[in-house]
Amino acid sequence: MTTRREFLKVSLLAGSALAIGFRFDEADADDGKVFQPNAWVRIAADGTVTIVVGKSEMGQGVRTSLPMILAEELEADWTKVRLEQASPGPQYRSLGTGGSFSVQSQWKPLRQAGATARELLLTAAAARLGVERASLRAERGFVVSDVLQQRIPYGELVAAAAALPVPENVPLKNASEFRIIGKATRRLDGHDIVTGRARYGIDVRVPRMRYATVVRPPVLGGSVKSFDATRAKKIAGVRAVVQVSTGVAVIADHTWAALKGREALDVVFDAGPNAEFSSALHAQRMREAAAQPGFTTRKDGSISSPVVKRIESTYQYPFYAHAPVETMNTVADVRGDRCELWSPTQAPQDVRKNVATLLGIPQDNVTVHVTLIGGGFGRRLGWDYAVEAAEVSKAAGGGPVQVLWSRADDMKHGYFQAASLHQMSAGFDADGKLVSWSHKKVSSPHNARSKPTAEQMQDPTFFRDISWGVYDVPYDIPFIETAYLPVATPVPIGPWRAVFSPSSTFARESFLDELAHAAGLDPIEFRLAHLGGAEKLTAGDVTIDRPRLRRVLETLRAKSDWGKPLPKGSGRGMACNVYDGDTHVAYSAEVTVREGKIRVDRVVCVFDCGVVVNPAGIEAQVEGGVIWSLSSALKSELTFRNGGAEQSSYRDFEVLRIDEAPKIEVHLIPSHGDTPFGAGEPPVPPMVPALVNAIHAATGKRVRKLPIRAEDLA
Amino acid sequence: MTIRFSVNGRDEAVDVDGAMPLLWILRDLLGMTGTKFGCGVGVCGACTVLEGDRAVRACQVTAAEAQGKRFTTIEGLSSDGTHPCQRAWLEEDVSQCGYCQAGMIMNACALLRRTPKPSDADIDAALRDSVCRCGTYVRIRRAVHTAAKLGGTK
Ligand code: FES
Ligand code: FES
Repeated sequence: MTTRREFLKVSLLAGSALAIGFRFDEADADDGKVFQPNAWVRIAADGTVTIVVGKSEMGQGVRTSLPMILAEELEADWTKVRLEQASPGPQYRSLGTGGSFSVQSQWKPLRQAGATARELLLTAAAARLGVERASLRAERGFVVSDVLQQRIPYGELVAAAAALPVPENVPLKNASEFRIIGKATRRLDGHDIVTGRARYGIDVRVPRMRYATVVRPPVLGGSVKSFDATRAKKIAGVRAVVQVSTGVAVIADHTWAALKGREALDVVFDAGPNAEFSSALHAQRMREAAAQPGFTTRKDGSISSPVVKRIESTYQYPFYAHAPVETMNTVADVRGDRCELWSPTQAPQDVRKNVATLLGIPQDNVTVHVTLIGGGFGRRLGWDYAVEAAEVSKAAGGGPVQVLWSRADDMKHGYFQAASLHQMSAGFDADGKLVSWSHKKVSSPHNARSKPTAEQMQDPTFFRDISWGVYDVPYDIPFIETAYLPVATPVPIGPWRAVFSPSSTFARESFLDELAHAAGLDPIEFRLAHLGGAEKLTAGDVTIDRPRLRRVLETLRAKSDWGKPLPKGSGRGMACNVYDGDTHVAYSAEVTVREGKIRVDRVVCVFDCGVVVNPAGIEAQVEGGVIWSLSSALKSELTFRNGGAEQSSYRDFEVLRIDEAPKIEVHLIPSHGDTPFGAGEPPVPPMVPALVNAIHAATGKRVRKLPIRAEDLA
Repeated sequence: MTIRFSVNGRDEAVDVDGAMPLLWILRDLLGMTGTKFGCGVGVCGACTVLEGDRAVRACQVTAAEAQGKRFTTIEGLSSDGTHPCQRAWLEEDVSQCGYCQAGMIMNACALLRRTPKPSDADIDAALRDSVCRCGTYVRIRRAVHTAAKLGGTK
């Protein structure tokens, strides 16, 4: 049965389970004539509650936070609520996990589904007991009648509930009534992890499965000219060597044989057009391009009084890899005109579509099982490694094959965070007032999963939308001008944790520190002085809530011992950001610099992400975001030479280790507004500039290039 | 060659090339996938297991070297999560993606057997060769202290 307004669907499933179908992406709700749910809540006769959605768990805790939200409205025993990963199919379109939107996009629909289910169960109980609905209440998985002193478990009511008309406009709880949302909650699947039972993509084992690795051209855009598999095939356990579009695959009885076979393979590559490419060349191209005006992404106001002092700086940001600890992998099983895949993916429907295209079969013939993910960070929004596995399975004559990327494959052949260059310029008037701001970003748009169209490449709006952290400068300055200058690159570019924002925010917030020093003002004071009044600022399609940012800054000042002297050689710096108009973040960092060695002693974060669903989960995301950012500032960098990436493991693409992890304090601003926003990405962008500003406070040296190397501090 | 060794108290015999790393024997031949691959070259620690009381990297132990040895993997600590390190990891809610944590826990076990009451510096020294890309380090430190209190020398 479907409601007139058609936003929920209720049905009785085989085995007497009540199922409530809903859509988790409200924006899509009108795209068809017939209402089609893409997520379900299932209440079984034994009382277990399952949410079936297309959200991948990759450490951000959605398997915990989404059940919390549902259980709140359903009045379920939340420990009995589980999340089941939907496999894409006609029922589950629009699956995907990215942009920190999971909790945000699920918030209202999940609550509505929960409240509706609760109402149906209460109504069913009223009929069964012959009492008024109003005399009953729901409590932790039971309908309770205080008058009759009876408690009926939900499971006993599901069949009757499924036959009822769907109630409309069921009221949702007030925030003051929440008993689960807002409580620090440990994650639900921790147990499987500590016992070794959790199954990631790499752990998939299906009967008759073989193991494969692929040798890829060392130069970007290169190809296989010829290969000789004679030696490889002599390795015990090697079964087949086949060419695929990404390289040559060695298929074996186990991973070790595949790896050895690969070493013994003789491949001649054609380097293609990029053999001369290097990151040094790319940096030079960016510098040359910076002379051009670029696309204007924002131009607001006018210079109110003549500029008497101008400050200019250029900031440089390198390429980075994602380097999750679980390398890319997928098991694919092509059988005739069907294909089944097991993949650690953030984008199952893209996998499905692209595998169907590759094999020339209908999408309905492709099944994708989403496994646990050993770190996503944006990399697993790509479908390349899953499609490659299907190609290997097919080339080998079908049957299940696990294609595993070596650490070096993963480092060199992913898609990457784009390098960029930032030209900053600001002007003060005769009274020392900041009257103009300009920020030009020179970088490369995403080109790996899809390339920008020719039209987009002429459209300032397109460039504005990929300039988070540039055009949405949250400060009140009489004249603001921002621009983007695209530079072509053979390096595959794609989403990375916090997407376009980290480089832009690094430049913006470091430069702001320079301006505060030039103005002789404390950096927090300087920012507060440029937040204007209570009005919201609209920049592009982003709204900046200045009072929220003000509160975050004031809280940081109160919680970080701001202004308290530190020993010689140590310093404290800060930075802030509004992530995509939603999550407001401010950091302070304390560092000690000795003989060019930087030690981060303490980080304080103030975080306002709207409604706090699971404070424990958010704190963990902030801690992770801090470590991620410090890795990018202090350790890693992906460089290219002779057309290929130079790094091949954590030995040369270094990441922060436990002995370098600072003390991290997280202060969540209590629930604001009525929507939760993301917490996975927002912690990243302002961390690096807070560090850079602290280094300046400690040493007087201004860092304008990442990663920070000892010689830059000499 | 035939290699005999024990894993989690069970005797195993496999017929393999003597150069095959223990990591792939465990994962691909014995079906024990709790021990993870992260780099295969000894720089991430995801594959850490115990050999006796010592933490070793399964990707760096060859079949020939494994001959006659006793190993413990994450699956062997306890299947119900009651080992002090497992309890501490749950208590401190350490895991994000969780992928590196088997290696972290096995390293912590080895540390606690050697140093039942470790300092932060001891923990840092024992775990600095292990990578967590999700950045759970501050919780790992806390969890090792908690495990010590729970009697983690087991
Ligand atoms: S897989 Fe053994 S140390 Fe990385
Ligand atoms: S928890 Fe994800 S790598 Fe450590």
